[in-house]
Amino acid sequence: MSAPTAPTEDRASSAPPPGTKESPGSSKRVPLSAIARRRSLTGWSFIIPAAALIVLVNFWPMIQALFLSLQTGRGTRLTWAEPLWLNYQRLFEDETFRLTLSTTFIYLIIQVPIMLTIAMVLANLLNAPWLRWKGFWRTAIFLPCAVGLVSYALVFRQIFATDGLANDLLIKFGLLDANVNWLGQTGTARMVIILGLLWRWTGYNMIFFLAALQNIDRSTLEAARVDGANGFKTFWYVTMPQLKPIILLCAILSTNGTLQMFDESFNLTNGGPGNTTMTVSHYLYNVSFRNSPNFGYAAAISYAILIIVAILAAIQMKVGDKRD
Amino acid sequence: MKKTRTLGALGAVMSLSLALAACSGGGGGSGEDETTGASGGTGDNSLTVWAWDPAFNIYALEEAEKVYQADHPDFTLEIVETPWEDVQTKLTTLAQSGETDQLPDIFLMQNNAFQKNVINYPDIFADFADSDVDFSEFPESVVSYSTYDDVNYGVPFDNGTAIGAYRTDLLEQAGYTVDDFTDITWDQFLTLGKDVLAKTGKPMLTGQAGSADTIMMMLQSAGASLFDDEGNPTITDNDALLAAIDMYGQLVDAGVFVEVNSWDEYINTIVNSNTAGIVNGIWISGSIQSAADQSGKWAVTNVPKLDGVDGATNYTANGGSSWAITPNGNEALATDFLNATFAGSTEFYDTILPASGALANWLPAGESDVYSEPQEFFGGQPIYADVLTFAAEVPSNNTGAYYYEGRDAVSVAITNILNGADPASALEEAQSTVEFAMG
Repeated sequence: MSAPTAPTEDRASSAPPPGTKESPGSSKRVPLSAIARRRSLTGWSFIIPAAALIVLVNFWPMIQALFLSLQTGRGTRLTWAEPLWLNYQRLFEDETFRLTLSTTFIYLIIQVPIMLTIAMVLANLLNAPWLRWKGFWRTAIFLPCAVGLVSYALVFRQIFATDGLANDLLIKFGLLDANVNWLGQTGTARMVIILGLLWRWTGYNMIFFLAALQNIDRSTLEAARVDGANGFKTFWYVTMPQLKPIILLCAILSTNGTLQMFDESFNLTNGGPGNTTMTVSHYLYNVSFRNSPNFGYAAAISYAILIIVAILAAIQMKVGDKRD
Repeated sequence: MKKTRTLGALGAVMSLSLALAACSGGGGGSGEDETTGASGGTGDNSLTVWAWDPAFNIYALEEAEKVYQADHPDFTLEIVETPWEDVQTKLTTLAQSGETDQLPDIFLMQNNAFQKNVINYPDIFADFADSDVDFSEFPESVVSYSTYDDVNYGVPFDNGTAIGAYRTDLLEQAGYTVDDFTDITWDQFLTLGKDVLAKTGKPMLTGQAGSADTIMMMLQSAGASLFDDEGNPTITDNDALLAAIDMYGQLVDAGVFVEVNSWDEYINTIVNSNTAGIVNGIWISGSIQSAADQSGKWAVTNVPKLDGVDGATNYTANGGSSWAITPNGNEALATDFLNATFAGSTEFYDTILPASGALANWLPAGESDVYSEPQEFFGGQPIYADVLTFAAEVPSNNTGAYYYEGRDAVSVAITNILNGADPASALEEAQSTVEFAMG
């Protein structure tokens, strides 16, 4: 066990002061022996390739995008903007950006809480000792995640076509009198997208919750029962607090994913009717590739998304993570 | 022991990163075999081409290759099937990053996107200024899509001339013939359409909701567009546009024009006999003919014209595409190939027309017998010869670099107007959206 843990320990201790590599241990630590130094070298040799790749293919383009967002012009004829923050200023005057941003937030605010709640309920059901054919249920609920984003969006578009399956079934069961033009009206079209997102991602989050549930020490639950807590109280006061980190993780991942959502908007509704189901990322794509290409502005939009994700994640961590 | 482990780990890491480096650099070594579009050849007898439809433009390329090979036995064409959206994305990415050596020798481009790309990315185009291609043998309206500053950048390929295609059996039920729908105005069409709807229960037309296709066709039929000659948006105070939107609204309100939400639904309305007609580019005839049970029940005529608009005609176009060449060292061969086939071979067009319905823009091809052959599916009407006479009448319109912005803004305006918004203010909003996008 000692060999695998050594690199992580080294990373933990030497990451904060990257410049002072000669004395990676703080004053609390004894000076490194030859063995420890060699271990440290092993650790670094594991980290550096991946880290270098991340810097090269992730961080460096991000920095380039930042410079790009300060430039203006069409196609390849880019010049530094005057003033430099022109593209960011432009965001505040852009009606389409405002519309797509509010649409994206509607998806976020409605879909993420519903999804996480359903995922939590399903995870608890699947974790119940009395449930039979667990493997089957687990697979069935997780399976939508194995479906490609484009293909499921296209299937949903077929189902909710005016002469599609949804209308046929609802009329057959007497819930509707006439065909509803689901994708032709703003409200219902947004609802279809949210339904699609729920179908596609609930199982994914459920797996996280399930894994966390299975890591909960059974003795804590038994202790609660011995103390006379009922099922709900046990869940609320014993299980939930232990799930907090994973709920936080899922909330941040889902927020991030929803804010960057593209496929459903592009394939299911193509942004319509009248751009009212278009997400910010879809708008970004249009600005770059469909319209007369304005990459400086597109980069500014992507930075706006980044800033929003960062702020929301920070809030969630502040609210949700109270481990100290 | 420890030392060997460290060295082993380092070795593993090194080889891993080497493998990664090899992956990223692999394009250079094996580029010839890959179909990524690297032209590879400099001066040899091979050309790389991007096109998107195996049954249509790729098929045409394959036939063109055979025609050209008759005189140039060593010639080969490397065709890379690339959907249109991907062609646009790839061109934008390559031009933006300056990797123009990754471009093919020839690529196919939608006519509506041609100006935008020539204006924004002049580096990826070679022009036909010094070539032997005789552009006077193509309809002027078609050549103008790929002409910028009086220089030609594209050889027109498929024909987007609009047709009115109608179900003769359904018209007969309502007591009409296709002649009643020839050389008419949209007002007359609306009256006839209401009658057909009442008697057969079928709408006259269908179309995609939120798509400005029909409006854009109406506009072009009057030689109007969303931009003036200087490229400024003219969405407000545009009589032709107001008339088109007004007529479109009336058609939809009367149920004569039924909106559906996606392209598949649109095609299904034709195939499932849920419409008595269609107005679109001639390329829609391929989809019409996919319903084999409707053979003999279709006829083709020109499209209705706008009432009370100056310069209104019964002719317009939607879509179409042109071949562009890139400055990759093979321009001479690429130009000669296009000139000898798409811009100069009746034999070639005679082959591709019956097999794929690829109607030529090259006017001399229309004199061939193949074009005047009666088409059984269309009740024995020689529709291709008819459409070529329409093609010569189509007014040109100005697409400009911001065609898609204009079109999308108008689509949004139409959606809002159909939902009850005031047309003038909705169009003002569209105008300011486009002005903002251009700013």
